[in-house]
Amino acid sequence: MNPVAVHVARTASPKTSFDLLRLPLIGRFLKWRYSRIAMQIPLLVISVVMIAHAFFGPQLAPKNLAALLTWVHFRGLVVIAVLMAGNLFCMACPFLLPRELARRWFSPRWEWPRWLRNKWPAIVLFVFVLFVYELFDLWADPWWTGALIVGYFAAATGVDALFRKASFCKYVCPIGQFNFLSSTMAPFEIAVRDHGVCTSCRTRDCIRGVRGSDPEVSAMGRLGGQSIGQRGCELALFQPRKVGNLDCTFCLDCVYACPHDNVGMVARLPAEELTVRGNRSGLRSIERRFDFTALITVFTFGAILNAFAMISPVYSLEHWLARVTGLRVEWPILGAIFAFGLVIEPVVILAAAAAWTRRAAQSRESALVIVNRFARSLVPLGFGVWLAHYGFHFFTGFLTIVPVAQNAIREALGVALLGSPLWQLGGLPESIVYPMEMGFLGLGLIGSIGVAWVIAREAYPARTRAVFAPWVLVHGILFASAAWIMNQPMDMRGTFLGG
Amino acid sequence: MLLVRLVSAAGDGVSTGPTRIASTANPNAGFEMQRITKSAGVLLCTFALWGCRPADSEPSQANVRLDFDPSPPVVGDAGVRLTLSDAAGKPLYGGKVVLEGNMNHAGMKPSFAELREVEPGRHVGTLKFTMGGDWFIIVTANMPDGSRIERKVEVQGVRVP
Repeated sequence: MNPVAVHVARTASPKTSFDLLRLPLIGRFLKWRYSRIAMQIPLLVISVVMIAHAFFGPQLAPKNLAALLTWVHFRGLVVIAVLMAGNLFCMACPFLLPRELARRWFSPRWEWPRWLRNKWPAIVLFVFVLFVYELFDLWADPWWTGALIVGYFAAATGVDALFRKASFCKYVCPIGQFNFLSSTMAPFEIAVRDHGVCTSCRTRDCIRGVRGSDPEVSAMGRLGGQSIGQRGCELALFQPRKVGNLDCTFCLDCVYACPHDNVGMVARLPAEELTVRGNRSGLRSIERRFDFTALITVFTFGAILNAFAMISPVYSLEHWLARVTGLRVEWPILGAIFAFGLVIEPVVILAAAAAWTRRAAQSRESALVIVNRFARSLVPLGFGVWLAHYGFHFFTGFLTIVPVAQNAIREALGVALLGSPLWQLGGLPESIVYPMEMGFLGLGLIGSIGVAWVIAREAYPARTRAVFAPWVLVHGILFASAAWIMNQPMDMRGTFLGG
Repeated sequence: MLLVRLVSAAGDGVSTGPTRIASTANPNAGFEMQRITKSAGVLLCTFALWGCRPADSEPSQANVRLDFDPSPPVVGDAGVRLTLSDAAGKPLYGGKVVLEGNMNHAGMKPSFAELREVEPGRHVGTLKFTMGGDWFIIVTANMPDGSRIERKVEVQGVRVP
């Protein structure tokens, strides 16, 4: 049966799967209108503490809350939350609280420019963050880590103060894009419970929002001269036609806006949404969007590059490049490594797989069409690599927050209110974390192979196996690269050429 | 660095009281602004508190020399030789010396070593490097006269065998 038809049939019938919003305590809390703010405020407070410690605390990364929480706990918890539930970081995103406050006084007047309504701005920022992370050794620099957090708050507030709806989340935020792609692997999605109810709905509050003059609810801002009682989806995802978690921040505005209580947080098969083709609300057809292919490529190959930068061969490579080129500064050498890892290598590998596919399928489609179609299959493996990498740092170091917090209190107040720092606290031993890393990579590989198989079967039903083969090879190469990296001893250096 | 210094200087005791800003556009705006300024005040106090923390005592008269065997160190146990002397090169003896080794990446457990004095001002011991990469060693010497010498020593490029 055609997968699209299967998907339509599946979504048309009422969802009977497990719904988090129907649970007694969690469901009641999440359906409370201010639950998001209640989650954002603690994260905002933590962010303020991190910023303060970044600028005024010890400039030693292992003893600084900003460096520790950003590069160990935050990154680890984001991917683990996605694996366990969904896009919980965007749900509780502290960067948006200043914007919410600002929108009480300022109504953004402009629409996001049409020529920027794509993923390119976020892709550029994503690569930029990966690059400066390596170039300036952000993991070892509390002050710049604090500056990055402040910059993030400023960017989110600035963009959304000027432009309507959730322009920052949808088009700018690199963390958001990372979370959107990652959450295609999540076990939960925000989805319509019964499509039959939507068929008879005339108000479309889930996308339009609820307008009203009630001063109690007009605090959300103003739109078109009318106060907004409850926002609809600001990321342009119309629930009845929404597919999966792409571009979904789990803000639950659609849940609050739906007058029929017909939107839930339902369990689903992770990665299944990657096999769905055709138009999606707010996204059009992702298999026809090259910006999505580029985003997925940066997400997947960036995961391998980011992990590669943690091991000693990268320093041998940098020294070799320095010797060959005579360069004594890092940025052009690092730039060359990035250009190879994020552009040349993916282009060669994906173009070769596309050429093989075209030959096997005896198709006249362009290589770009084929790459766009199969790029989705890279996401599970990419997520597996991020999970293995960030999971390593988190699981081996999650308890270090205890002595660092104790030390911060002691240094700030001069009194050891939380006791003397227990520096012996670390995390799980590497011997336990290593099998977990391999497990994450293995799950990613299985997911990628499964997605590629479904794509091959629906696009080339007569030659599925022949078309499937090159993509399995691509996944195998990427998996082997990641597994090799994870088997190398970690070697974190902030120095280059003795500088 | 200049910016770091400027920010640090601002934290050293500069604080401002909340300012009330009236607004006629929104009847609740005054109240909201009051809340914001209160929050900003708390934030500033927090910053100031951090800025007013006791300065690290760092006697400038002492020289600290740290050598490793092998050099550069390799992951695993490394022999440490430490020499303490005053500005004239005269040994500073009788101190209790402790090393704390940290990687420059957050989230790694530090490594500690207590050195023993083998001759006046010369201390030896063993420090475990648990991972390859860049480390820094915090040397703390508590001297018999009650003074404390503290130094941060960079150890770049600990090799993976």
